[in-house]
Amino acid sequence: MSAVRVAARVSVPCAAACLVALAACATFSDTILTTERSLAQQQPKIALAEYEKRPAASSDRVLNLMNKGMLLRMVGEYDQSTQALQEAKGLIEELRALSVREQALSVTVNDATKSFIGEDFEQVMVNTYIALNYLEQGQLDAARVEALQVDLLLREKEQSSPDSPYVEDAFARYLTGIIYEDEGEWSDAMIAYRKAYEAYESQLKSFSVAVPESLKHDLIRLADRMGLRDEAKGYRQEFGISDTLSESALLQRGEIILTVHAGLAPIKRERAVTLPNPATGRLLKIALPQYQARAQPLAYARLTADSQAATSSRVESITAIAEKSLEAEMPAITARAIARMAVKDTAARAASQSGGGGNNSSAGPLLGLAVNIAAVLTERADTRSWFTLPGEIHLARLSLPPGEYKVKIELHGRDQGVLDSRELNIALQKGEKKYVSRHWIPTNLEVRP
Amino acid sequence: MSRNRLLRLGLALAALVALGACATKVERIDESKAEDLSGAWNDTDSRLVSQEMIQDSLSRAWLQEFRARPGQARPTVIVGDVRNLSHEHINTSTFTLEMERALINSGKVDFVATKEERQGVRDERKDQDLNARADTRNAMGRELGADFMLTGTINTIIDPSGDTQVRFYQVNMTLISLADNRKVWVGQKDIRKLVTRSKLRF
Repeated sequence: MSAVRVAARVSVPCAAACLVALAACATFSDTILTTERSLAQQQPKIALAEYEKRPAASSDRVLNLMNKGMLLRMVGEYDQSTQALQEAKGLIEELRALSVREQALSVTVNDATKSFIGEDFEQVMVNTYIALNYLEQGQLDAARVEALQVDLLLREKEQSSPDSPYVEDAFARYLTGIIYEDEGEWSDAMIAYRKAYEAYESQLKSFSVAVPESLKHDLIRLADRMGLRDEAKGYRQEFGISDTLSESALLQRGEIILTVHAGLAPIKRERAVTLPNPATGRLLKIALPQYQARAQPLAYARLTADSQAATSSRVESITAIAEKSLEAEMPAITARAIARMAVKDTAARAASQSGGGGNNSSAGPLLGLAVNIAAVLTERADTRSWFTLPGEIHLARLSLPPGEYKVKIELHGRDQGVLDSRELNIALQKGEKKYVSRHWIPTNLEVRP
Repeated sequence: MSRNRLLRLGLALAALVALGACATKVERIDESKAEDLSGAWNDTDSRLVSQEMIQDSLSRAWLQEFRARPGQARPTVIVGDVRNLSHEHINTSTFTLEMERALINSGKVDFVATKEERQGVRDERKDQDLNARADTRNAMGRELGADFMLTGTINTIIDPSGDTQVRFYQVNMTLISLADNRKVWVGQKDIRKLVTRSKLRF
């Protein structure tokens, strides 16, 4: 009898103390300020060191691997980057199963207690960046494995959530097409290019990324190669392109494929409201995540070698995809937050009444207050996101006769000025494709009004 | 009193549980026992493939045909590319090495060093030319040319539906005659798995 009462009396303050301890941590996006600053200063190495200094929660393992993988890629450590991202991929697979314990915590404490496995688009991006790592290291067959996994992943996403705004990833499809074409698998490449084209068309309204210039040429070239005359003719008319390099002519030349990863993906911030309930005198709090966009001054990149040049097109707006994905999920997040508020308020009421019957009548209201404070403090929004992803990805393809080149990559700003310029030496053989990438983050991440 | 004892007991229990979780546990398992954890390609698959390929390649007609040719004792084989065209990153050297070992040990087939290995051996010979005693030197240009090249591919077909997947692996190995591009032996091993993902975890 007495043991039960003791247990009840001990467990309530204990729980309250635990809750307070949990709440002592700030939300995720407040802990990465130094990492962000180093990135804006073009110091990915320091950013990586800063990121690794953060206290690592076990529920954030996937998130930390994703961010580390991206930072390692920026530093140029491709092998380690691939390793981190592969590990993240394995963990996502494991954590995809619903956890009963975490579900319970998410309606009693907050959403950030759930294991992070990333949004659909973040999961596809893991494969995409591993593929890019392999391509830049010249491991085409390994990149092809990732391309097949992207196909599979997108098929699963389409089956499980057909109504989501993100069921296709146009850039991921485009990249798989490039990989298949490089392997000489024309029909697979054609299908991937076609899927990318359809995705760009159908998602134009929601993500506002037009069909990239290079993809138009790729579609015509592959349709010609496959002998799909009507389709090729249709593309020629639609895009207004009369002349493009044929596949056999392209194979006589080398090609440089440049991807530019510009800016940072939007960051989630907490938006919270705390109000006293006049009827009970207790505090009520609700906290929700909200995306804050980042500055994106890049307009296009220009790739120059000798007298030949190519201009990049925007192939993916991660900013738009992230915002639409959160928008689609907001009703569920809000519902959970409201349920949580009710659960926490009930607990506070129960605590304030629990001490009433005993010899110490002042304990009840005190406990109620403690639980109420703990409940308010633990109500934090889940602001975890793969923030080191770029805001936008640009792509350019430049075919050149075999030889040695001094290649210039120029990043042009929206106000016509050159943001950054850098030179590379690239040797091209007949039929060879070289993949080059550039990560660029503006010095000022804040959006200018 | 009872409250104190209860607390102490609880603390002791908690400490025990915490300690128990610390030790790394290692258990030796039989290498021929199938242990499927994630459903991905693993050692069991690799072993199944090499067993099938070794048995098949040693029992087929190409070997007898080659040995029946005048002046030929044992065919010489070189391992070429085994391409991974599957959905997974698979280390193909595990079963090619196993196959190589079994074929060499059968005494019926010779293997020569692969492209990558050869470079190291040639460097060593060059070094011998300069530094080794004259009677122990191995001359350049006396390498054994291969009669056949072993190549292969791994392909997969995956059919997913919700939490269940059918994974189909097909491994093909081919022996190609270097003299005339003739394919003298084609081995194939199919592996089919049904993988069900768990819906719930702790």
